[in-house]
Parts: sequence; structure tokens; C-alpha cells
Amino acid sequence: MAPPILNSPIQLSPAAALALSQQAPAFLRSSPSTVSSSPLGTLFSGPEKSEQWLQYENLIVSCLRTGDDQAAHQCLQRLVVRFGDDNERVQAIRGLVKEAEAQGNGALEEVLNEYNQILNENDANIPIAKRRVALLRSMGRLSDAASALVQLLDFSPTDAEAWSELSDIYLSQGLYPQAIYAMEEVLVLAPNAWNVCSPTKAPNLSPMLMHPSQIHARLGELQYMAATAPGVANGLYQKYMAEAVKRFSRSIELCDDYLRGYYDLKLVSKRLLNDGTKATRPTDDSEFALPDTKTIERLNELATAKLSEIVRRSAASDRGWRGYNEAEIAATRELLADDASAIKR
Amino acid sequence: MAQVPVQTIHRDPQLFYWILFPITIVMILTGVLRHYATVLMASAPKKQDQKTTREQRSLLHGINVRGNYHVLSKPSLTTRRDALITAYESGAYLKNPDGRGQPPPNPMSDPSAMEGMMGMMKNQMAMIIPNTLIMSWINAFFSGYVIMKLPFPLTIKFKSMLQAGVATRDMDPRWMSSISWYFLCIFGLQSVFNFLLGSENAASQMAQQMNQMGPQGAGQMFGPGVDPNKQFLAEAENLAVIEHHSVLDGVEQRLLAGIKV
Repeated sequence: MAPPILNSPIQLSPAAALALSQQAPAFLRSSPSTVSSSPLGTLFSGPEKSEQWLQYENLIVSCLRTGDDQAAHQCLQRLVVRFGDDNERVQAIRGLVKEAEAQGNGALEEVLNEYNQILNENDANIPIAKRRVALLRSMGRLSDAASALVQLLDFSPTDAEAWSELSDIYLSQGLYPQAIYAMEEVLVLAPNAWNVCSPTKAPNLSPMLMHPSQIHARLGELQYMAATAPGVANGLYQKYMAEAVKRFSRSIELCDDYLRGYYDLKLVSKRLLNDGTKATRPTDDSEFALPDTKTIERLNELATAKLSEIVRRSAASDRGWRGYNEAEIAATRELLADDASAIKR
Repeated sequence: MAQVPVQTIHRDPQLFYWILFPITIVMILTGVLRHYATVLMASAPKKQDQKTTREQRSLLHGINVRGNYHVLSKPSLTTRRDALITAYESGAYLKNPDGRGQPPPNPMSDPSAMEGMMGMMKNQMAMIIPNTLIMSWINAFFSGYVIMKLPFPLTIKFKSMLQAGVATRDMDPRWMSSISWYFLCIFGLQSVFNFLLGSENAASQMAQQMNQMGPQGAGQMFGPGVDPNKQFLAEAENLAVIEHHSVLDGVEQRLLAGIKV
């Protein structure tokens, strides 16, 4: 039996998550239920492996997702036996299990009260603080979640995960400048990292794979959204658009054939061409200026060519061109078709 | 030139069983015991309170901004820099802002630092006590025995290493005394412990001494006796002298030049 993967299961498709959680009983049977710490035990069975505990965590998440609460409880029990009841991480996982099983808002309130109590005793308990934020957000109390996160980031400002979550919350509230600021913090903290994750989608325990080009593209998208929000002054619009173009270009520079980067670049350059706004020099020399029309045209052409190449090759499933997300390919096709029909007209 | 006659010493073969094996077994057992004693005595890492975390991470945040400012545009760097410098210089992130400018407290009087030293003391004790005991045990019972002959020739320099406790000038260095076997065991059992206890064991003192040399650099940053206020002021200065450039400067041109369709 292949062991449950060590990567976080949050990005799995529903089918893959189900397959993983169906392996749970076999995995529980194959690994010993208690780890003996006696000298003889380690002499015979070998030292315990730290990956094992990560596997339990991932298994809990996918079991909760697929509704196999019993297996999740068994895994949790083993973690409790090994690390004790008051381990911060175990507390967070237990909270996660309770949240998943809670029926209705009353039960969630109860879990929230427990979190508050734990935080009263130890205000530096970061896993629980993050769970509390995630719970507040899933209960729809966005501003509470944001203020709790700001509080967390005040004493732990090097937490890229929390910044990225804050950015997401601000975005859902429509506060673009704040969201951009938070995303920039993520980039400052993890310019080369593969792992930044967003806690509400995940149980904030295991990192999600994220490439720096993704952060750049995300930041560019935020800029684009900020620029296209209603009621933005022209100067601000140009500033946002200029940075968006640059961020998308950077994301492609970091990762060749990056579909999302090209898609975004195409989108933003098309819009700039359609606008026909003349690039005005920004009053302040320090800000980015929009590139001239010719450069934008060339960028647009480049993006179009690359996108159609990616679509074509991935449809033919050439070697080295597989693995693009189906939905993203479909969206790209739509964008290209849209473009083509516009030209015909 | 006359051939040097091969030295032969008639030993009781029982010496082999009653000295060599007991010393080896005792050494292995003490190693295993020491490992478990260290595991038992290890105190759980002390929890940091919120203010200490805040102080340390705020400083790290500044260091991160200084190191990776090139991903930011100039206005966003400026706002961050201004905010950080103001906060650093006003001591907003300090654990106890009242203590600014005072000389750092004596590390001996700080209870949290004392605890770290106690931990080190305990480890040292776990090394020293068994070693002293075994050494005196071997000295009392086995001193002066020549227990085996190595199967390969050695130069005269090895005499002091292999024949400790046997003061015979003319003996071939291939002969080995019991106390030397003990020293060989101290240095050579590391791989046996790795096999028995896993690679992160605390059985061998050599590994522990290496560790004590190692983490000086990392531990020093927030260690006792370092004045955080001075660190903050130094970091504020570092931030102030950044001359901004960005990876986003001219990225479109780079992209157009670099990627051919």
C-alpha cells in the first residue's frame, strides 16, 4: 500500500481525496497503534519516523472531508497518545475535527468559546489563533476574522501564511489596497519559497505548494482588480495597471509556459489596448509608468501566441505539456475564442 | 643486520574473555543508559510569551524587508521602511520599553537564561560521572594488563596511545593495554550507537561536544546578554540606507527579449 502522501491534501480533487481516505483503515492497521518508548521497543522496531505524524494529520483532513469521522477520530487519538493533550498542534487538529462535526451555528459558537478560553490561558498559541480566524471566517464574521488576524500579525509579523489569509479576507471585503499590502508582505517574506498556504481553505497545518511566480501573478491580479474596480481615478488606474503588467511579466519570467501568467497578461494588455489610454508620466518619478503602446501590443501578441500554443499542445497531450488544469485550459480557450470573434467583427 | 625477534608474550586466553568483552559491553550499556538518561532529564523547551515572540519576530520582519526589498515597488518599500524605522527607534516592539538605554542585565540573574545553563550542566554531568566511574573501575581492576595484539605492525609513536598504563619501553607497539581499549571504545562506538538508538542519540559524548560548538551563530542573535534595543537601532539604520531597485524594472523588455515563440 502506498502511504498517504506527505503533501497537504487540500489541493486534491474530490476523487483523489476520497481514494486517500479510503486507504485510512489499511494505514491504521499497518502502523502500530502506540509507539513504545521503552529501550527494548526501539531496539526491535527501530526509531519512530517523523513523517508518520504528518501522514496522520493529512489523513485526518481528507477523512473529515469525505465524512469518515471514525477514522479521523482514530488518527486523532494516536496523535493525542503520542504528543499529549495540550500540544498546540494537537489542540488545533482537535478543534478542526470538532468544527467539522459541529451541527449548526450553536455548536460552532461553542468551539469558538473553547478557542477563546485556550487563548486566554496562552496568548502565544499560534495554531489555535489561526483556527479561530478560520472559524470566524467560515461563520461569516469577516471583520472579526480580519481584526483577529491583525492582532496575530502584530506579534508574529513573519508569518507568510497569515498575511496571505489576511489578503484574501480583505479581498473578499473589497479592500483592494489592504489586500495588495498584505500580499506584498507574503512576497517579502517568501520570495523564493515553495510553501505558502492559505489557512481557511486548509487546516493551516500543512503547507500548500506555491511558487513565487504564483504569488507575483496573484499580486498582479489584485492590482488588476483594484484598477478595474468602479470609481477609480485615472492616475490610480494607470498606476495599478502598470504594476499589474509588470507583475504578470515577472511571473512568466520566473516560470516558463506559466498558463495563468500568460492568461492574465493577455487580459490586462487587451484591456489597455481597448482603453486606448495614453500613458501619462506619473507625477512622482518613483512610481511605475505604463509601457508604451507598442510594447503592450507586443506583449499581447506574445501572450496570444503562447496561450494558443499551450492550448494546442496540451490538447494533443505532447510530452512535457501535460498537467495543466482542465478548467484553466477551457478558460483560456474561451478567452482566445472571444478575441478571435472580436477580430472578425 | 640482525633480525629483530618477534616478541611473544604468553597471555592467559581468559584475559580476552574477562577483560576485553566486559569493557566493551559496559561501554555500550553506559552509552545506552546515558541516552535514556538524557532523554529523561531533558526539560521541555520553555514556552515563549507573546511579548518575546513579538520582539524577535519584529526584528526578523525588518531583516526580511531589508533582504527582499527588490520584490517591492518603490512606494510600498518607502511606506514599510518609514513605519519600521519609526517603530524601531521609538522602541515600540521592545519587551519592556521602560528598560531602554539601561545596561543589559547580568545573564546570570535572568531565570530563563539560568535554565538553559542548568540544562547544559545536566548534560555535562551525564557525561562526566559515568566516565569517571568507568575509568576508576578499569584502573582498579584491569590496570597494567596487556590484553591483545593487533594483527598489523605499527610505528613507535603509537606506543603512548595503545599502551597507556603499561610502562615498558621495549614492548612492541602492537600490544594493547586494557585502558587503551577503553579509550578506543569511547571514540569508536558512535556507529554502534547509531545502529542501536538511531542517528540522533545522545549516547556519545563526541557528538555532544560537536553540537556545543555548532549552534553558536544562530543562538547568539536572541541569546541572553544581547540588548534588543541596540539590535533594533542597528536594523533601523540598515533599513534607512537601502537604495531601492526592483525586479520589476524593465521586466517587460526582458520578457520580450527573452522569450521567443
